[in-house]
Amino acid sequence: MKNKQAPVWVIAEQVDCRILSVSFQLMGQACKLADALETTVESVIFGDHIEEQAQQLIAAGADKVYMGISPQLELYQPEIYTEIIVKLAQERQPAIMLIGSTSMGRELAPLIAARLQTGLTAHCIDLVLDADNVLEAKIPAYGGLLSIICPQKRPQMATVAQGVFPSPELDENRTGEIIALDILCDILRRLQTLEVVREASDGISLESAPIVVAGGAGAGDPEGWDKIADLASALNAALGCTRPAVDEGWADLETMIGQSGKMICPELYIGVGLSGEQQHMVGIADARIMIAINSDAKSPVFDQVDYGIVDDCREFVPELIKKIKEYQEKQGTC
Amino acid sequence: MIDFTFTEEQEMFRKAAREFAETQVAPHVDEMEKTGEVSDEVVKALGEAEMMAITIPEEYGGLGLGYTERMIAVEEISRVSVATAMMLQVFALGIEPIAKFGSEELKKKYLPGLAKGERLSTTAVTEATGGSDPTGIRSTYKKEGDNFILNGRKCFITNSHISDTITVLAKDEENPKAYCAFVLDKDMEGWKATHKEHKVGMRGCNTGELAFENCRIPATQVLGEEGKGLRVTMAAIGDVGRGGMVGVALGLQTACLEESIKFANERILYGKPIAALQTIQNKLADMKIDLEAGRLLGYRAAAMQDKGQRSSNEFAVAKYYTTEACQRAAKMAVDIHGGYGCMEEYAVSRYLRDSYVVGPSAGTSDIMKVIIGRWVLS
Amino acid sequence: MLNIVVCVKAVPDPKEACNIKIDPNTKTLMRCEVPLVINPLDKNAMEAALQLKAQFDAHISVLSMGPPEAGNIVKECLALGADRGFLLSDPAFGGADAYATAFTLAKGIEKIGSFDVIFCGMASSDGSTEWVGPEIAVFLNIPVVTMVKEIVEFDKEWWKVKASLENGYRLMQVKLPAAFTVTRDLNTPRTLSFSGIIKARKKEITRWGLKELAVPAEAVGLKGSPTVVSNLSATESKRQVEMISGTREEKVEQLVQKLTDAGVL
Repeated sequence: MKNKQAPVWVIAEQVDCRILSVSFQLMGQACKLADALETTVESVIFGDHIEEQAQQLIAAGADKVYMGISPQLELYQPEIYTEIIVKLAQERQPAIMLIGSTSMGRELAPLIAARLQTGLTAHCIDLVLDADNVLEAKIPAYGGLLSIICPQKRPQMATVAQGVFPSPELDENRTGEIIALDILCDILRRLQTLEVVREASDGISLESAPIVVAGGAGAGDPEGWDKIADLASALNAALGCTRPAVDEGWADLETMIGQSGKMICPELYIGVGLSGEQQHMVGIADARIMIAINSDAKSPVFDQVDYGIVDDCREFVPELIKKIKEYQEKQGTC
Repeated sequence: MIDFTFTEEQEMFRKAAREFAETQVAPHVDEMEKTGEVSDEVVKALGEAEMMAITIPEEYGGLGLGYTERMIAVEEISRVSVATAMMLQVFALGIEPIAKFGSEELKKKYLPGLAKGERLSTTAVTEATGGSDPTGIRSTYKKEGDNFILNGRKCFITNSHISDTITVLAKDEENPKAYCAFVLDKDMEGWKATHKEHKVGMRGCNTGELAFENCRIPATQVLGEEGKGLRVTMAAIGDVGRGGMVGVALGLQTACLEESIKFANERILYGKPIAALQTIQNKLADMKIDLEAGRLLGYRAAAMQDKGQRSSNEFAVAKYYTTEACQRAAKMAVDIHGGYGCMEEYAVSRYLRDSYVVGPSAGTSDIMKVIIGRWVLS
Repeated sequence: MLNIVVCVKAVPDPKEACNIKIDPNTKTLMRCEVPLVINPLDKNAMEAALQLKAQFDAHISVLSMGPPEAGNIVKECLALGADRGFLLSDPAFGGADAYATAFTLAKGIEKIGSFDVIFCGMASSDGSTEWVGPEIAVFLNIPVVTMVKEIVEFDKEWWKVKASLENGYRLMQVKLPAAFTVTRDLNTPRTLSFSGIIKARKKEITRWGLKELAVPAEAVGLKGSPTVVSNLSATESKRQVEMISGTREEKVEQLVQKLTDAGVL
């Protein structure tokens, strides 16, 4: 008989009426945690027409889904979402609260954590229970792994990126409770989302690309970066990057692979002019083959790949592209 | 006891100068190398970053800082571009005679513009008949009422073609033992920049000839005492010129060492980076020793100058040491790079060419030794 | 007068920070001399404040929580153009997680006085939780917008800003006083200037510790942190690298061969 107290919570997120895969993935992990704690899984979701989505959350493992349903909530409204979740959490006293590490999640999570005066861990690449059934969040740091716990305060909160946990099988026959929440209309309106604009994303999505070329500081300048981008095109690969490339303005934050960015699991990964810093490498969940090109023979990246080449990527990459194109012409592929 | 550390504020000046050099000068280095011409953008950026204002007193629109801060700025800029550092150091060389020997009117007339970079300056002493020996110059002046008439030619003058405010040294036509330093500006007729030199190194720094033909200069433009002009220019060159070269040389030494370390860590021979080889480590150690020693000599002299003490001998020692050291460093850096050291894409080939030009600037090494010898025996 | 507070953090220079590693034997951080610099995104926060000051009558207070050396960072911000500096430094503040850090900074801001706008970098280059800005806002009971990439409209009471989203942005309307965490898209930070450094000579840095903030020791630092590190472990690499060597031409050839063998080409 499951303890209905101190459930495991997942704050789910939907965009254009589609639940994000990270929410499903968190649901899967929440179920594992809830089973071990002998408690239930509950989820919160906001939007306007989300009954179907709530049902999907049940199919993914939620025993109870709270819907914040209102035309007002079609767009993410930080203060309203926070207020509702905080009030509900104070009522339901979840033991654990998981939130997907999206831009919304990373804003909402700390707002909730501060209001509930509890701890919140970012960049989790694993969530387990320790000997005392306390949530242990594993995060990569300093070339190793840190375990972080929130021993006293509740709920124990964590944000997790898409791709860390596997997507669970949806069981359409699963049943659960769906509760529509009262939306308080008189919440302080100091802050309002007026509109959301999404530009069409061009290029292959990093998370699903079979080949990923990632560039880093070794590109040196925009010309060097262009050469790496050309390599990605030549291989029909998705182009990702490390933080230095974002800092320099050569690449967008959206294409950053790693702890604070995207998780990938390609067939082939080629790291060009990057040092293999943990924050980046941890974003590569797994890859069949990993290759690195770096001008520093002592670079830590060479400890983490299958094939390494020591050379200045600015000189090497154009030569590589030439050879690849030659080969492709011979094969008749492009 | 002696404190060999820079102040917190000086470290911040260094940071500011380095940030400036890396963001505003570095992007233009390739272009300057190719054309050999001064980059207008770099000159503008130097002015906006107040690099010419460093030693100009606050009451004339300057920053009122000292020669230590100036050396820091020149050193950091030289690390990125020796040519630019040279150009900047000679701007100061042109400013110094006005600031130290100019009348109040002259100071008010020129220093504010010089501080902003609206006026660009140099000091013209060297001629075909004498550079190391300034008494060998043949340019003459003749008094005519309220004016002086100047005739002659100067050569190897840095910033010759971009300057509009020039300190010129000339001999009295009638008395070869009397010299006068005048400040010329673009409003005066009878002078022009003529031949432009094409230097093998320090490309992006303009060197050339100036010609004076019956150039009419108001007597109010005299710097210091009439007849005692040698004192004016020697003071400028002795301290500011030599001090500037120390900054230029130190920056170049640093660049050579940094590039060498980078290459030594990357280049694999015999299965490991060449930095593991003792012969390479020896060269790096030599460069490091020279850099440590050079910095101490240079900043010691600058500190004396800031205190108002006579420092031209100490600067002669520092100038000799650092300019010789940067030539050694450049050669070692090229050697470490092996065949790559001869290739244009590798910065060290440029450093080698730059180092050639550092040596004879502001007095050759041989002249430095003469000065130091004199000092020892005095 | 627009009162702006900019929160800045002193972090190990990101260009060298990768040298800090866990010692697999002692399971503690290996000592490494990495210089402290201003957290890169906090420079964007400073720049946002400085640009506002150029347009309006504004006063910028810069605040940092850190060891005494962090004072250099505050000094640098004064040299960039901030008016007053505050350093929250006390052994009791050490070991703080994001929550305790935000709590302490919020107390510092309360002590500084009234404010209209708070700017923070979106995240620090070390730690990088993104939590501190929003949690400061909660403790001060003000609205916050994270990941600000553009300030579209501003007047005395209401601002309109664009907050970054995956593949886009949301347009937010917010009532002052408010907090904003900024991204590098917002602006290009200016570099230090010599005259700025000279002007900073006259500017004050005030240092506050536990006593001055008048908060209990249990509320700050390690004691005030709901989260704590329970274990450090070094990760082992699972791959054995094969280095491809030779002339550049040879290396290219070999690599193309490997790609072909892998079925990529």
